[in-house]
Amino acid sequence: MSKIDEVRDYELFIGPNHPGISGNFSFKMKLQGDKILSAKTDAGYLHRGFEKLMEERLFIQNIAIVCRICVPDPDPNENNYARAIEEIAGIEVPERAKWIRTLVLELSRLASYLFGIGGHVATTGLYAFSNWTIADRDRIMELFEELTGGRVYHIYQLPGGVRRDFPDGFERRVLEVMDYIESRLGDYDDLAINNALFIKRATGIGVITKEQAIKWGVTGPNLRACGVAADVRKDDPYEVYDKVDFEIPTRTEGDAYARTIVRRKEIEQSISIVRQIIDKIPAGPVWNKIPNPLKWKVPAGDAYVRTESSKGEYAYYMVSDGGRNPYRVHVRGASTTHGVHVLENLLAGSRIEDASQIMFSLDACPPEVDR
Amino acid sequence: MEYEKENSIVEMMQMQFPEAAFKVKKERRIEVRLPSARLYDFAVRMQKKWNFLHLSAISCVDWIDDGEFELVYHFWNYDEKVLVMAKIRIPREEEGDSHFETISNLWQPAKFFERDIHEMFGVYFDGSEDMERFILTDWNGPPPMRKDFITREFALNFYHYRDYEPQWLKDMMAAGEGNE
Repeated sequence: MSKIDEVRDYELFIGPNHPGISGNFSFKMKLQGDKILSAKTDAGYLHRGFEKLMEERLFIQNIAIVCRICVPDPDPNENNYARAIEEIAGIEVPERAKWIRTLVLELSRLASYLFGIGGHVATTGLYAFSNWTIADRDRIMELFEELTGGRVYHIYQLPGGVRRDFPDGFERRVLEVMDYIESRLGDYDDLAINNALFIKRATGIGVITKEQAIKWGVTGPNLRACGVAADVRKDDPYEVYDKVDFEIPTRTEGDAYARTIVRRKEIEQSISIVRQIIDKIPAGPVWNKIPNPLKWKVPAGDAYVRTESSKGEYAYYMVSDGGRNPYRVHVRGASTTHGVHVLENLLAGSRIEDASQIMFSLDACPPEVDR
Repeated sequence: MEYEKENSIVEMMQMQFPEAAFKVKKERRIEVRLPSARLYDFAVRMQKKWNFLHLSAISCVDWIDDGEFELVYHFWNYDEKVLVMAKIRIPREEEGDSHFETISNLWQPAKFFERDIHEMFGVYFDGSEDMERFILTDWNGPPPMRKDFITREFALNFYHYRDYEPQWLKDMMAAGEGNE
């Protein structure tokens, strides 16, 4: 090896406390100057063994665990968990509870998108934008606090429905927050989305073609940015997504910028869904009583339930052997593909200054990978 | 007719795999139990002929009382909008890894799922290029998701409740001053 090769080629470890990494995650990279030759993800810093813990706890106890699997977007976990039990045990959910769940899922999606886009734009140096989106996200956290008592984790969707009904005047405050966020979208566009600097940094970065996306198992907004109009909410509808109107925004470029645009457009769709829910939500009970949860055996059976989380396809495979605890719960997070081999594929050949941006543009969520 | 789409898919698949047991579980969900030796052929046909382009997940269930691992492959079809759950069972080795063939050459996402199952259940997927440890890099014990690994027992053996009686505490107690 010549002297110049020795200086030029090196290995680098990035993470888990690096500000450009979303969460407890790291990479081992081989670099040549600024160019990444190969990258290997290194996870496990947040492994809590939730799947194992769930097997040793009662069905009802696990609701407090599942939401912690994905911090920025916890509600798809609760929804999957509740729906899996309902499918196995044949529990009916009251109509109003389904509408409330859909509302909660959309609010969670909005909060997660604001967080995600803010984080992505910040990796290009525009920190002001992330401060805005995180401050605006807080308005949604306040709604959650009012509805569920929790800001980040809600522990709200029980098998058989939801924990409690809207507080007085909640509908009005939801609409106010929606109006507020909608009024901010123009500012977002001016500061970040249409900012020449951001466009230049994000265009052509981390490009995934349509064929690659299908082959690599890309889902969610990342897939829609490659020109595939697939969305679990439309294709495999759950709760009341077949009763509300919304569009699936797509782009064809497949790069980091296209992924941001898709998320930005989905914010509008989510606001529209929330308004439709407030408009159409029927009156009625919100919970069908289940047997005493401390002495509750769920009949034997299995179910594979899917939701569209803000990160992509989110699925649970639950098996019950007829006992008091779930026999097996397998969590399939969207980030198990995006955060591992999709990211490894995209990082190889890109430049070191884009590594953080590529990770944030995929919206990979490390706690999902670790579980 | 109820589940028309699902039933026609089952009919088509049943012709190619007469030994498999199909069941329409509900709308958009089909379950199939296969002999383990037929899984690879089934997966190839799913991808190349039947357009199930998305491998949603591979789940592993430890049926310790039967002495078997169950591997459940979840395939999704973007056009038909149907999910097929293919279940196979393989023998559960008490010592060392069980073995099964990989499908990671067909689906890239399988690489992660198989690696995860190897780490957590001790099922080695022959032919996969990456079976390295991922999350539990410092772990030397048995695969922890196996049913015979009891978390509570492990924790009680591994961590110790210590009687906390440092010298300074004994000295203080022995000093005997106070106003009791």
